[in-house]
Amino acid sequence: MKKKLLALTLTGALAMSLLAGCGSSGDTAATDTTAAEDTTTTEDTAADTTSAEGSVYYLNFKPEQDQQWQDLAAVYTEETGVPVTVVTAASGQYETTLMSEMGKSGAPTLFQVNGPVGLANWKDYCYDLSDSDIYGELTSDTYALKDGDKVAGIGYVIESYGLIVNTDLLEQAGYTTDDIQSFEDLKAVAEDITARSDELGFAAFTSAGMDSSSDWRFKTHLANLPIYFEYQDRGITSTDAIEGTYLDNYRAIWDLYINNSTCDPAELSAKTADDATSEFLNGQAVFYQNGSWEYGNVAGEGKFSDDQLAMIPIYFGVGDEANQGLCTGTENYWCVNNQADEADIQATLDFIYWCVTSEEGTTAMATDMGFVIPFKNAQEPTNLFVKEDQEMTAAGKTPISWNFTTMPSEEWKNGVGQALTAYAADQTDANWDGVVSAFVDGWATEYALANGQ
Amino acid sequence: MEKAIKRYSPIFVLPTLLAFTIGFIIPFLEGLYLAFCQFTTVRDAAFIGVGNFKRIFSDTTFLQSFKFTVLFALASIIIINVIAFGLALLLTRNLKGTNIFRTVFFMPNLIGGIVLGYIWQILINCVLSLVGEPLLALNSTAGYWGLIALVSWQQIGYMMIIYIAGLQNVSEDLLEAAQIDGASAWKTLWRVKLPMVMPSITICVFLTLTNSFKLFDQSLALTGGDPNHLTETLALNIYYTFYSRAGAQWKGLGQAKAVLFCVLVIVISLLQLKATRSKEVQQ
Amino acid sequence: MAKRKKISNINWSILLTILALLYVYPIIMIIFNSLKQETAITTNGAFTLPTSETFAGLANYVNAIESKGFLQSLGYSLLITVTSVAAILICCSMCAWFITRVKSKISQALYFLFVFSMVVPFQMVMFTLSQTADALKLNTPYNIWVIYLGFGAGLAVFMFAGFMKSVPLEVEEASMIDGCNPLQTFFRIVLPMLRPTLVSVGILEAMWVWNDYLLPTLVLDIKKYKTIPMLIQYFRGSYGRVEMGPMMACITLTVIPIVIVYLLGQKHIIKGVAAGAVKG
Repeated sequence: MKKKLLALTLTGALAMSLLAGCGSSGDTAATDTTAAEDTTTTEDTAADTTSAEGSVYYLNFKPEQDQQWQDLAAVYTEETGVPVTVVTAASGQYETTLMSEMGKSGAPTLFQVNGPVGLANWKDYCYDLSDSDIYGELTSDTYALKDGDKVAGIGYVIESYGLIVNTDLLEQAGYTTDDIQSFEDLKAVAEDITARSDELGFAAFTSAGMDSSSDWRFKTHLANLPIYFEYQDRGITSTDAIEGTYLDNYRAIWDLYINNSTCDPAELSAKTADDATSEFLNGQAVFYQNGSWEYGNVAGEGKFSDDQLAMIPIYFGVGDEANQGLCTGTENYWCVNNQADEADIQATLDFIYWCVTSEEGTTAMATDMGFVIPFKNAQEPTNLFVKEDQEMTAAGKTPISWNFTTMPSEEWKNGVGQALTAYAADQTDANWDGVVSAFVDGWATEYALANGQ
Repeated sequence: MEKAIKRYSPIFVLPTLLAFTIGFIIPFLEGLYLAFCQFTTVRDAAFIGVGNFKRIFSDTTFLQSFKFTVLFALASIIIINVIAFGLALLLTRNLKGTNIFRTVFFMPNLIGGIVLGYIWQILINCVLSLVGEPLLALNSTAGYWGLIALVSWQQIGYMMIIYIAGLQNVSEDLLEAAQIDGASAWKTLWRVKLPMVMPSITICVFLTLTNSFKLFDQSLALTGGDPNHLTETLALNIYYTFYSRAGAQWKGLGQAKAVLFCVLVIVISLLQLKATRSKEVQQ
Repeated sequence: MAKRKKISNINWSILLTILALLYVYPIIMIIFNSLKQETAITTNGAFTLPTSETFAGLANYVNAIESKGFLQSLGYSLLITVTSVAAILICCSMCAWFITRVKSKISQALYFLFVFSMVVPFQMVMFTLSQTADALKLNTPYNIWVIYLGFGAGLAVFMFAGFMKSVPLEVEEASMIDGCNPLQTFFRIVLPMLRPTLVSVGILEAMWVWNDYLLPTLVLDIKKYKTIPMLIQYFRGSYGRVEMGPMMACITLTVIPIVIVYLLGQKHIIKGVAAGAVKG
């Protein structure tokens, strides 16, 4: 209160003095009055936004779905009269935006974290969702993000990644996706394509770009595989020290990617996500490691049709490869801000419940946003890759879970990415030791830094 | 005269001062306090004392970025000012197309730092791959010189304008007098023009100095600190401490780094101001 | 002698022309790419001209303007830039005059404070600034200029003060003796003499405000308002995809107004200097 009073006096004084001081400028004089008015109505607006009904302020993470969320929010407001504001943070700016918005009045009531590591930042702000309706709608408890007994976040979209295949090109090379059932198969096919690339006119893999727009595909998503298999072996779900049992397999597949691709491995450090997409769209490569979110970018008018595309698992040469599925999981968890007003919290809970249960909500999420949602009322997806994931699971294949959410920090990922890039430019054992060291030693150091002090 | 102006001080000073208090002093003091806290958002800061400052010195990335920033600042200050001054001299010679040149050299200023960074990244990588050198992400030397090229390209135009304004203030009489005395062009430059534009030099050096030290957008977009934090500027290091780390303990550390950074920059710029101001001639 | 000078001038002109071409190249690159189709904008192809195959016409521009509320953001950006720069120029030049003409401990301290603010990294005050602005409700395009005035004051005061030192006192004194009060003296005598500096400071501050991304993101009520730099960031997706075409188009469109402002202002610099008001 004291702060507010000080603030009021300050602006008041400022407005007055400016009126007196810069009276000669039409512009400034005009805005002065607005400033003065604004300050006097501070209390009112605060009351407005927290009126009996409550309201929702959703800080959305995915820029590509901004418009769809805006539309869905408008539908909800029309139906219920509850105001829903959706703001999308620019890519790479989510944490900055969230930190600044959470410090303000009228903070977001609904925000997202990316898993256990992200939760460490925000756990004090997460409303316990264990008694909420939406928690009961989850198809599996694995999609709830827990902090002790508290349900801190609810995964709202499941995504899958693997190798996107241009089946036309694969056929031209004389293969079908059925021919690839293991890492050995994949290697044989890729190396055969490379050997005949002049004649075929395309390469096996799109560029494995290590520019920051693309490097997460390898330092995070591909690195999930050695972590997953090690966790499986050891029967754990997180660790303070990774052993790196399967790093040789990681090297084998990385070698395969970079030596059978559209460009010289030394140039990978500058290749972007757009480069890989363009190469794939232009028919320059057969395989493209990416996820279900990429569907809209490769399929559709002027691009590929569904029968020209497929997604196959990233075979790693470990375990029962015949029954390996896609890498499926989530790193998008909804959290409700426990510092918000009771009414706003309730309004937010109602809104997300409506999103995942109502006809409009589920349709919008499935069709417009192309999401698969882990809730009982989910609708059939239109996304080919997602359908393939469901078919594989139905056929008894085991999806690989997303364990990269347990990676100790961004710093760790960057360290691994850096080492991978260096190795790609100069493929020596010494450089691979750099990757191993970033992976294993880096994990221990970063885990201690993140959880120690 | 002083007295009369003093009476009007509320009108002259107060508007700026009040806005300055809101826009800078209050946030700065609060920020100073936060350096002694653990916090996630500004609202939940908990006082923990000087712990954050102690941890700075065990953070090797901070020392590395400090070294990089100093080396970068030194080189860019010299390069920018020498070239900008040279261009200003040329463009006050009544050459044909002077206006077009001025406009062109100023252009890069009109684009935001992040966008510039991305453009230059593409450009430098293209050149590097042509000559068969490792690309930016693995090449800290290229990152260092690339960053210098980028900021030079961006800031030379602006500094040039300041120098032009300064050079045009040098009185014709003085130059004529020098010519009559038989001074060579070189001598006129050193003995007459340079001392007369000293205020411009002070401003330009100060601006390039603070710009170099605070450099953020361009360095984020060009190299992002790669490889292994080797091309990380101080501002970038602080930014990473805030965001690529999860947990309340890091935010306070970032804030403490920012405070230390401030102190450093203040000391350095005070020294610079003192040094160049002393060379200014009173007119 | 005259002939030799002429020849060397031609040489210099040629050198400058080459330099100038190198200088505008990256900008031309943006414009070229803004005319290309999405898939043609790649790391390797960044330098190639649009061909008949990849030429997208103005599609990217249409896309940029239509899709994300471009015109509205343009309006906000213009409003913020104009109000902020006007406030900075008037208030700070007055403040700087006061500081240079009144020699007291307080004015020295003020000057030091302003200069000090220039060296503080934005990261240090970003969160507290966003909170202060929020508490005072200075979070709309109509009053965010107060923040910009406060945050931009350091540079402006520093530059004005620097130039004012070279402005002779005599004219001002004469005007005061003629019975003008300090306000009249300032607006009739000092301000016109400052014109070149006003223009340079104005351009510098205008570019800062116009291109600024982080400050409006943190300070503005992002539920309602977006500026152009904020809008440009929306062309980047969460999975590393960038809509390069519309983004390049958007950047081109953003650069145009500021180029116009600069071209207008440039005349004033020359005029202001040519008028001889500043000759010591």
